[in-house]
Amino acid sequence: MMDNSDKSLILAHLDGERAAFAELVRRHGDGLLGYLCRTTGNRQNAEDLFQETFRRVHEKASTFNGSNFRSWLYAIATNIVINDWRRRKRHPEVSLDAMWQDWDGRGSGLDTIAATDEGIEPSRAAQREELKTQVRSAVASLPAKQRLTLIMAYYQQMSYSEIATTLGCSSGAVKTHMFRALKRLGRLLPDEAGGVS
Amino acid sequence: MSGHLIEDMLIKYAFDLAGEEEKCSLEAHLGDCEHCRGNLDRVRGKFRALDLLAGDVAVSQELTAKVVEQAGGGRKIRSRTWMPPVWMGVAAGVLVIASVLVINRGWRSASRPEQSENGPVLSRQPASRPEVLGVPTRPEVYRFGGPAHLAAAADTEKAIEERPPFAPASAIELVVLPRRENVQLTIYNSADLTLVRERRNLTLKRGWNWLQLMWANTLIDPTSLSLEPKEHKGKIEVQQLVYPARLKDIGRWLIRSEVEGQVPFEITYFTSGLSWRAFYMGTLSADESTMRLEGYVRVDNYSGEEYEDAQTRLIVGRVNLLDEIAELARRQHPYGSPIPMPEVFDGEIMSEAEHADEALLFFADGMDSDVDFAGGGYGAGGYGYVAIKEIEKEGLSEYFLYTIEGRETIPNEWGKRLPSFEAEAIPVTNLYKYDEGRWGGETVQFLSFANDEEHKLGATPLPDGSVQIYRRAGGGGGLAYTGGTEFKYIPVNEKVELDLGPARHVKVEPVLMDYGTAAHQFDGRGNINGWDELHTWKVTVTNTRDIAVKVEVFRDFGTQYWEMERSGSFDAYEAEDMDTAKFTLGVPARSKREFSYVLRTYHGTREGAWSKDRQ
Repeated sequence: MMDNSDKSLILAHLDGERAAFAELVRRHGDGLLGYLCRTTGNRQNAEDLFQETFRRVHEKASTFNGSNFRSWLYAIATNIVINDWRRRKRHPEVSLDAMWQDWDGRGSGLDTIAATDEGIEPSRAAQREELKTQVRSAVASLPAKQRLTLIMAYYQQMSYSEIATTLGCSSGAVKTHMFRALKRLGRLLPDEAGGVS
Repeated sequence: MSGHLIEDMLIKYAFDLAGEEEKCSLEAHLGDCEHCRGNLDRVRGKFRALDLLAGDVAVSQELTAKVVEQAGGGRKIRSRTWMPPVWMGVAAGVLVIASVLVINRGWRSASRPEQSENGPVLSRQPASRPEVLGVPTRPEVYRFGGPAHLAAAADTEKAIEERPPFAPASAIELVVLPRRENVQLTIYNSADLTLVRERRNLTLKRGWNWLQLMWANTLIDPTSLSLEPKEHKGKIEVQQLVYPARLKDIGRWLIRSEVEGQVPFEITYFTSGLSWRAFYMGTLSADESTMRLEGYVRVDNYSGEEYEDAQTRLIVGRVNLLDEIAELARRQHPYGSPIPMPEVFDGEIMSEAEHADEALLFFADGMDSDVDFAGGGYGAGGYGYVAIKEIEKEGLSEYFLYTIEGRETIPNEWGKRLPSFEAEAIPVTNLYKYDEGRWGGETVQFLSFANDEEHKLGATPLPDGSVQIYRRAGGGGGLAYTGGTEFKYIPVNEKVELDLGPARHVKVEPVLMDYGTAAHQFDGRGNINGWDELHTWKVTVTNTRDIAVKVEVFRDFGTQYWEMERSGSFDAYEAEDMDTAKFTLGVPARSKREFSYVLRTYHGTREGAWSKDRQ
């Protein structure tokens, strides 16, 4: 494949090249799954939404305008996430706190700490785990758009303009969401976290 | 900027949220203010807690494979033409101008490219749903039971894809078997095998159709399934029968159809669990000289499937089906018609002289020629049928085919008894036999007649079955049970002898009256090497019944070297075999007859003096 940009991969996929779609999944899969894990807080659920996202990518491939595949991909994923939140709000299965457990494959109990954080004193590991829970709760408490913006900007390292494209709003609006999210987190997060990271 | 920066400003600076001017101003202040730089570090430190959730997440290979597979794995999903956005803009502009100049109605709607959630579309094609998983989808749901509308496909219609779909795209592509219109059962009792031929109207769409059938909890042999269209034969092709993996007791037929609408299909298969048996009821006249014989057929259904309004045909006689099944297995098209359609047999019933294999051909293909199968012209059927149904009999070489008139509904786990024939006043012989070697000291009653015209029978062979015999007793028409037995298949013109069991009212009592030896012979040393034994027997036959009876008394002597002197009252005597004698005598009602015989048996060297003539 001469040109392996996202756009050419989509075109190749439209022409029926299996490898092209696989390459797109490999290229963006990890980032997208991380995004879905952070937005849903649950690995299993995130994997389901991951499949659904790429299914829609496949179905809507012909509507891709060729500008920014990542934004387009995350826009699809975000729509799916929002729908999932709505569905869960109507039919709650787990609490928000519970949602945030184990998405990265780690538990929060002392046993888990002792088993996973080798080289860290158990007391510090417990303290760190407690802080992690606090951060999860703080992020989970953010309104939807602020949470999505924070996750995309902070964890997915997306630019504000990219996020704006993804969310279908202006960069200014994205910055406003981000600022409000940080202000709120500033009140919720402890003063100094460096010592335990 | 006077004073120190508040936390909001530090957050804006730390996360690049400030505008260009504000950012320059903040940078300038932070360069000069150590305090604010400290606060900035504190803010950054606080938000460093967010890093706790920043672990990497990796997609497993399995998930990747699943997603790629889901996307159809390399099938071309839609033809499309790439048009760069600049051309689309130009085209849109041209169209706008053209609309203004030519139409001049103030119509300003330019043919703007279709907008997706993320801008103009890549393709010229409308953004409709693509083919999912490589299988063409149709918006309409394929259903049975609609109006019988059938139209040949117009030439202008889309050509049917050459390559058949690997599997149905979804459940809506599948059609389950509709209700059967007609069903014919041919029950081969000897092999626990029933040939089922049913007719169902399938509604086909033009193109590829999937027909799903299930045989869970039935005894249907799935390898024997055959599907054949009865109309539009050149335009409908049954391609294959697929047994999908991980789906138990399910088969799917792939049908290519060039017509759309209802088409009658014939489905043929073998099943077990259906059986039939014959049984008879005989009513003797008061003097036991004649008998009224009624034949019945009982059909039992334990096949797991209900057959409503079925035409039922029964095969009498042993059919060697093993060869035929092997033939089915070897046929070129395993799931097509098992046998070519019976052009030559249409409307015919094969004669007995024709070959047995051809008889089976008739069973498999004769449905079209059965006027009553398709028409059901016997009026009422199934439950509530009042008139006695006739069972038609046809000779088929070594077998006999019984066709039960009309139709019968035979629910699963139900049995049904149907009358088969009735014959009045069959002349019968009431016979009692006495043979110590076979029945000990008891007299056994037999009823004998023949399956021939003289006995008002002989039209068909009599299938194996059980028979119960009753006798009319008294003037009020009461019945007395006489006995019951099983009998084997009775061909036409063969004699029937029904064993009704021990008799109490007819007794045979042999008594040994005298015994002695005679005619001794000696060897050179004076030892006996030859002699005769003399037995004197008196046999009394007592009939306590109120009718005359015929009695056969068998006497076995254990040697072939014997001779006899008979005396007394008996009607006939004959040597039954080399060591058995048979006396026949009729005994009037409530009377006794006696006869005697002196039996001489030859032993040792005396055997040479024996002559057969003296028996």
